[in-house]
Amino acid sequence: MQEAELHDLADDADYAASQQQGSASLMRSDSSRRSSGSEPDGAEVVYLKDNVTIHPTQYASERISGRLKLTKQGPSLFMTWIPYKGQGSNAKLSERDRNLYTIRAVPFTEVRSIRRHTPTIGWQYIIVVLSSGLAFPPLYFYNGGVREFLATIKLHVYLVRSAEDANVFLVNDIQDRLQRTLSSLELPGAVGVASGLSSSLPVGESLSIANQERTDGGSFDGSASHVQNNGRQRQKVQDPARDLSIQVLEKFSLVTRFARETTSQIFGESHSDGYGASERRAHNQTPHNYSSSGISNDVEKVPDEVPVASDPLEFEKLTLELGKPRQAPLMSNEWSTFFDSEGRITDSEALRKRIFYGGVDYMLRKEVWPFLLGYHPFDSTYAEREYLVSVKKTEYETIKNQWQSISSDQAKRFTKFRERKGLVEKDVVRTDRSFSFYDGDDNPNVNLLRDILLTYSFYNFDLGYCQGMSDLLSPILFVMKNESESFWCFVALMERLGPNFNRDQNGMHTQLFALSKLVELLDSPLHNYFKQNDCLNYFFCFRWVLIQFKREFEFERTMRLWEVMWTRYMSEHLHLYFCVAILKRYRRKIMGEQMDFDTLLKFINELSGQIDLDATLRDAEALCVCAGENGEACIPPGTPPSLPIGDGSLYPQQDDDIL
Amino acid sequence: MSYAYLFKYIIIGDTGVGKSCLLLQFTDKRFQPVHDLTIGVEFGARMVTIDSKPIKLQIWDTAGQESFRSITRSYYRGAAGALLVYDITRRETFNHLASWLEDARQHANANMTIMLIGNKCDLAHRRAVSTEEGEQFAKENGLIFMEASAKTAQNVEEAFISTASTIYKKIQDGVFDVSNESYGIKVGYGGIPGPSGGRDASASQGGGCCS
Ligand SMILES: Nc1nc2c(ncn2[C@@H]2O[C@H](COP(=O)(O)OP(=O)(O)OP(=O)(O)O)[C@@H](O)[C@H]2O)c(=O)[nH]1
Ligand SMILES: [Mg+2]
Repeated sequence: MQEAELHDLADDADYAASQQQGSASLMRSDSSRRSSGSEPDGAEVVYLKDNVTIHPTQYASERISGRLKLTKQGPSLFMTWIPYKGQGSNAKLSERDRNLYTIRAVPFTEVRSIRRHTPTIGWQYIIVVLSSGLAFPPLYFYNGGVREFLATIKLHVYLVRSAEDANVFLVNDIQDRLQRTLSSLELPGAVGVASGLSSSLPVGESLSIANQERTDGGSFDGSASHVQNNGRQRQKVQDPARDLSIQVLEKFSLVTRFARETTSQIFGESHSDGYGASERRAHNQTPHNYSSSGISNDVEKVPDEVPVASDPLEFEKLTLELGKPRQAPLMSNEWSTFFDSEGRITDSEALRKRIFYGGVDYMLRKEVWPFLLGYHPFDSTYAEREYLVSVKKTEYETIKNQWQSISSDQAKRFTKFRERKGLVEKDVVRTDRSFSFYDGDDNPNVNLLRDILLTYSFYNFDLGYCQGMSDLLSPILFVMKNESESFWCFVALMERLGPNFNRDQNGMHTQLFALSKLVELLDSPLHNYFKQNDCLNYFFCFRWVLIQFKREFEFERTMRLWEVMWTRYMSEHLHLYFCVAILKRYRRKIMGEQMDFDTLLKFINELSGQIDLDATLRDAEALCVCAGENGEACIPPGTPPSLPIGDGSLYPQQDDDIL
Repeated sequence: MSYAYLFKYIIIGDTGVGKSCLLLQFTDKRFQPVHDLTIGVEFGARMVTIDSKPIKLQIWDTAGQESFRSITRSYYRGAAGALLVYDITRRETFNHLASWLEDARQHANANMTIMLIGNKCDLAHRRAVSTEEGEQFAKENGLIFMEASAKTAQNVEEAFISTASTIYKKIQDGVFDVSNESYGIKVGYGGIPGPSGGRDASASQGGGCCS
């Protein structure tokens, strides 16, 4: 039977090509000898490409090259990508990173779609989305071969081009419906895929800051607190120089302690005699005795709850100060000190830092937001900005005119326009109408929302209009008050957040994937919990990410959070750390009550209006600092709100004849 | 509050057909025409009484926009009932029913009870889908059908409750193993599941165990 398969493959041009690549013959497994140890027994390589690379950061030196393979075992096709060991730019690659990124034999039954990106300049790359909703980081084909890759897949599994986006290829879309239903509905299958990257990590390698920073790598399975405690003790003996990140960790323990007390106050009437009290008692002992902490506290008899693995970041109970306290918002007298005589902001870094820690007074937002959003360059003069505003006003009017001049007669033959207009009209009357700026019948501001959104959908016709945009525009219009200025601020925001609204949800999947990696890094017990409970797709954070927590806070607080995020001072992806910070605040409740996907989703939804903004921002800052480079490495390049990487057309619609 | 059973419902259908308004009318007995559009999912709950048993309905109101479908599909899992809603004044929302149904059949459990609702029947003067067409579609696809209005509350109560009755009947008939939560049913304290665990004590009222 194997013979026959080999013969078939040898007839295949792609296979022949892959043979020429060189080492493919080595990959052929006669079950006794397996080349890289990653191929299942009896697997045949049907596609092989060298120099397929991921870009974990924007630095060229940190790119990781590897070999991409498709292997066939029985009726199943698998995809594997293994980074090279210590060659070229991989020379510095640690074993841990190698493991983190390795894609080990993912079966195509667990792949939902493949998106191909063909930038006009730069390399073609693909993004593989799993049926669990997670996606792997973009794989760049330095030597080309995306087309053969897709063609090869098509030979072995059912692959169709998405009707909505010519660059998206759906796997098993029809033929394997049952299979897909199973893999997306039935927990075990989906878990397996979702953890594609992480499950292949040897346990000892799971990323835990605590482990990594504080011990020399003693075994740690992320769920047993006693192991952590051993680690801590060993650490005590070692006592390395207490560098910045460790101090932050220590501070962070206090943040989370505070958080936990708040949590138990909010939710905990029923167990105020349970962990609430015992926690407080435990924390009041200073200095804290490690060996008696973890287990005994965590397991203390709490009605209806199970023991919760302790937070790896929460291991020092010293009375240090909290992370940087939030400041008062930037006021106009201080704001004026940032300008030179011609109106340039000379030290934009200092300004961004100032706003990061305190936000902006509401009276000033109208002036400050255009800079933060990137509509006005920091180094522009008063005169340049005045000119820009007038030019942009004309430009806005021109675009607006394009749809306004469509007569109702013409619209009859322009379904796409009618649909789009209908959708926008339906949505603006359902956006923040309880807020006084938009309330009441025939409110002119609601009409402005409509005009701006429709104009945007002509400015960026490929992206068009999508739900969620009105939520993003509403505070901007409220702040800017002016139609054209609001439009251009919105355009600047969409430069970064546009991918959130891609029809294939690719921008969202990338962010949720990065979020899962960050949680794995910053709270591996919580990550393991999500994994075991089939929650790794992080869909419960969907609304948070899509509209930047707009529905989680009241209006004023949303604006505060946004301006802090827009400084991009600590990280471009503060919002992801902010997600982690919220999850960490409630980790005890989530794990203690053994929430399943449904319960968790409902719980997260109902956190709306309950989240302490300032405290969570401080947590997010601390998490960002302690995650450091490792954190940034969790976030694939080009993840929104980063500007898209080297890709001329953001929303490519091109056609191709391979399928 | 204690309940005999908890049923998970999902409400699905195109954007703007009035899913959130139906939910609000059912849970709060009010019509809020400027309710925010739904991103992801929202939740509601209410107790109803079927066969003098308290039953809690936990309702998932999903976002209707096409591009959110890949996310909202993940919410179908384990629903016992679905309200599939279209807007009688917008033909296209009726035309899309087949694709919603296909999604539901693919991602929810096979025994899910589906109620088709033609909403906004207060706008009879703007009607674009006749009652007969709605009935016909329901019949062809084995759905229960009602026209309703979230605005006037006409048939709203009935739609949610008759779905619950149908599910309840299925429990009695032994269609569901209620101990298996993937059917979207949880047994509460007052549930008194019969010795088989899958039957309610009053099963004798419904179809016999041999039918
Ligand atoms: N006349 C009338 N209008 C209704 C009725 N139900 C809903 N509406 C209107 O229809 C609009 C949309 O209703 P929603 O409940 O927000 O629609 P939805 O289905 O939840 O939409 P998404 O959340 O976007 O999926 C609202 O602005 C209501 O004013 C009804 O029974 N009669
Ligand atoms: Mg809704």
